[in-house]
Amino acid sequence: MSVSDLSTLQAEFDEALSQAQSAADLKAVRDRFLGRKSGRLTALLKTLGSLPPDERRTVGAAVNALKQTFEARLAEREAAVGSPAPFEGVDITLPGRRPALGRRHPLTQVRERIEDIFAGMGYQIIEGPELEDDWHNFEALNMPAEHPARDMQDTLYLSAPMPADASGRRASLLRTHTSGMQIRYMEAHEPPVRLIAPGRVYRRDNFDATHTPMFTQVEGLVVDRDISLGDLKGTLQVFAEQFFGAGVATRLRPSFFPYTEPSAELDVECQGCGGRGCPLCKYTGWIEVLGCGMVHPAVFEAVGYDPEQYTGFAFGVGIERLALRLYGVDDIRMFYENDLRFLEQLAP
Amino acid sequence: MRVLVSWLREFVEAPADVASVAEALASCGFAVDGIEGDVVDFDVTANRPDALSVYGLAREASVAFRRPLRPPTLAPAPAGTAPMRVSIADSGCGRYALAVADVQVGPSPAWLAERLTAAGVRPINNIVDITNYVMIEMGQPMHAFDMAKLAGPELRVRRARADETLTTLDGHDRTLDESMLVIADRDRPVAIAGVMGGATSEVSATTTRVAFESAWFRPSLVRTTSKRLGLKTEASARFERGADISAPVAALRRAIALLAEIGAGQVTGGITDVYPRPAVAPSIVLRRSRLAKLLGTTVPDADVERILSGLGFGVTPQADGWQVTVPSFRVDVSREVDLCEEVGRHWGFDRIPATLPPPSAAPRPSAPAVAQARLLRRLLCGAGLQEAVTFTFIDARAAAPYAPENDLVTIANPLSEKFAVMRPSIAPGLYESLVYNRNRQAADVRLFEIGSTFSRSRGERRALGWVQTGSRGTHWSGSLGAVEFTDAKGLAELVAEAVGAPVDVAPGDDLGWLRPGERAVLTIGSERAGWIGRLAVTPDVDAPVYAGEIDLDVLALASTAGLRPIQPLPRFPSAVRDLSIIVDERLPAAELRGTIRSSAPSTLVSVREFDRYKGKGIEPGQVSLSVRLTFRHPDRTLTDTEVQQAVDGIVEALQRAHGARLRGR
Repeated sequence: MSVSDLSTLQAEFDEALSQAQSAADLKAVRDRFLGRKSGRLTALLKTLGSLPPDERRTVGAAVNALKQTFEARLAEREAAVGSPAPFEGVDITLPGRRPALGRRHPLTQVRERIEDIFAGMGYQIIEGPELEDDWHNFEALNMPAEHPARDMQDTLYLSAPMPADASGRRASLLRTHTSGMQIRYMEAHEPPVRLIAPGRVYRRDNFDATHTPMFTQVEGLVVDRDISLGDLKGTLQVFAEQFFGAGVATRLRPSFFPYTEPSAELDVECQGCGGRGCPLCKYTGWIEVLGCGMVHPAVFEAVGYDPEQYTGFAFGVGIERLALRLYGVDDIRMFYENDLRFLEQLAP
Repeated sequence: MRVLVSWLREFVEAPADVASVAEALASCGFAVDGIEGDVVDFDVTANRPDALSVYGLAREASVAFRRPLRPPTLAPAPAGTAPMRVSIADSGCGRYALAVADVQVGPSPAWLAERLTAAGVRPINNIVDITNYVMIEMGQPMHAFDMAKLAGPELRVRRARADETLTTLDGHDRTLDESMLVIADRDRPVAIAGVMGGATSEVSATTTRVAFESAWFRPSLVRTTSKRLGLKTEASARFERGADISAPVAALRRAIALLAEIGAGQVTGGITDVYPRPAVAPSIVLRRSRLAKLLGTTVPDADVERILSGLGFGVTPQADGWQVTVPSFRVDVSREVDLCEEVGRHWGFDRIPATLPPPSAAPRPSAPAVAQARLLRRLLCGAGLQEAVTFTFIDARAAAPYAPENDLVTIANPLSEKFAVMRPSIAPGLYESLVYNRNRQAADVRLFEIGSTFSRSRGERRALGWVQTGSRGTHWSGSLGAVEFTDAKGLAELVAEAVGAPVDVAPGDDLGWLRPGERAVLTIGSERAGWIGRLAVTPDVDAPVYAGEIDLDVLALASTAGLRPIQPLPRFPSAVRDLSIIVDERLPAAELRGTIRSSAPSTLVSVREFDRYKGKGIEPGQVSLSVRLTFRHPDRTLTDTEVQQAVDGIVEALQRAHGARLRGR
């Protein structure tokens, strides 16, 4: 044992420390040199007793100095490698605390989207009764009793008429369309008219994948001095572009409704196939979106508007049908089951 | 209407390409339901009975393709009258024409049978097939009677007598009544006018002489008869929409021609035509200016005239438009606007320029209910409830707890018992959706719906309903607890605060569908505004279900949404004191609050409960309620002494009124 042995040990330590990378490596270095049982320096200290007293003092001092050096250098490296300090943060990856997120029903989402488009064009949004009288649902809409068109809409009737309203009429049926709102509004207001009337309507249809006895419509009505079929066409084009996306192709196809003349249906290019033809559009390339037309003069006469002075257009959109397309759903019943696994997939 | 395109091409030089014929007719108003080989299935709208025929659609095609229309081949009208008399005893029959023929009954030639099959009509025998062929081709329904089976030499068109019966061709025995028109021989009815013939006078293999009927019956009469008997036929479909009153004789002449063509027989005698009041063709003025105004485009005069005359209208130009006579087969055209439609649909809606109506007046505001519903939907979605839409008609049993039976609005012809009653409350429908989800492994269900409720006494009311069950949610930090009454109350408070309506609660002892002890009426002033509570009967859910409903019409009247003026912010600090008071556990907090308010000086600005404790340290039957009192003076800082005096006064009042004492004393 001599001081030169110590410098060899120091060189060994420096070498070992310089190669240590991790906390585990440092631990190994500590064990090798300072370990209580088999550490090299510890072993040296144990041999001090066998030295003569003079030598013991000088060598002992040198060994102790070396031990302090080793401790300091190890502590320095250990601190740099980062030995575990007490954890004072939070686990930012755990879920936060919050109320659950509810969603508006898909039929509401489609309805509000349509409302917003027309509100942006200056239409007012109105609502009306679901229990309706014969006058507002049929008669004033150019469908007198025994009119074959009444068969187009199989009606649900009340067991007994409701008590009379302010005008003396008694509701006797569930409205088959929102078109009665045209009459109610025009009876109470002078032209010009620019409105939409969303709401639930009823038909005596079976409840299956494509039919439902209750569904939702949005009625539209515009009346002014010079409203033309061209205005209807332009308005529906704006609606289709804002609803389905810019550049969507539309076509107006002649049809029949008792309360409009001319009558038409609006077809929109099938979103499923881009108009090439697919099962969704029955290989026609077109999807029927809504019924519309120029307000029949008999309707104006029923509400006391002069059909010579005023013309107008009306349309009725079925919300379920649009929702089926929009959400890619193939069974209309899904809108009425309120299955959370379905509803929770929606945007709020 | 299934149309064989090769048949149609007998009358007009349409392209042989089936798809382009379908497309052309679709674009002028006859939607295509399907195409199978050479057959196009057109959806003919209810106003166009004339197009329920090959020739009628050929007329439309002739205008669409700008090709001439060739009429079907008719036999020359035979001289004299038929050897069978006809009398009309009811105005429901506008015309009755008849021809008699000697026939050899047998199968039709293949080409004829094939055409009928393509049109969806089953071939029977050559005579019946001829009547069907004429109907499909020209739109005029016909019938053939076996002369040997008729009693007497006369057919009478009259009303049926009460309880007269007739076995129709389909083998069913029909009981007739006085609302129905029949064709009768001397003894009894042999056909139901416009609907179906009788079995006894049916043409059979042994028939040698037939009477062909070709008539016109009033649409409403055929319609009601068909409905009453529940019997729809190809004939009734055409008559009830309106057949062509000019067609009966031409149809007979077509049938006679076909008889000869297929060698099935020959006419004997002439055609008897009883036509008491011949129709006069309506004449309508079509103004050029009106046409342009309605369509939003100017159609050249030549095209107006080409389209209308091509469709069979008589067109006479005038200075400012045209005088137009309407052919008898166009029962749907009676006004100028109808002619505008004819021109428009053949000119092409696609050629009409798209414009927008210019605004001519200030927009009118929307119904306030729309904005209210939008606010509430977003509020409740944010509060963690999912919006549902349920049917407004429900089962009578589900409705029963919510309203007396005589106040329910019931449906006369419901689809099923499940949909028989208009809902008196939204809750039963939402409960059903809740159960649906519970049965699909959703433990925590919170649903709301906005919609109408119905009663005879109060009519139709807009309402917000909700249901909630399970836990308030789950979180790793610990349980949030199960849904309780206070959660339902909290939603009611949330809605009330959002719309600015002073909603309060009152005991709800008459709310039979809710569990006693956990139910309350919601009130605004003295008016009922809804209810909250725990559903009493929830057989399909093994957890408490809480529900609530708010009358949105009542809420809207009390709402101050958007109209709340802002108060100046306080300029001096407030003083807060907490009190824990021990009282009888049955004493409602609202009463304590009332006593506190009435005994406190005006500097008390808020009272808020923050703890309710029962158990160790509190005698049974008592409860410790902790309230936080906030005092503030608008003009200065309150002193400790002032606040303490106020608190002492409150404590004294609570002792006097409720025997309350402070906890820890």
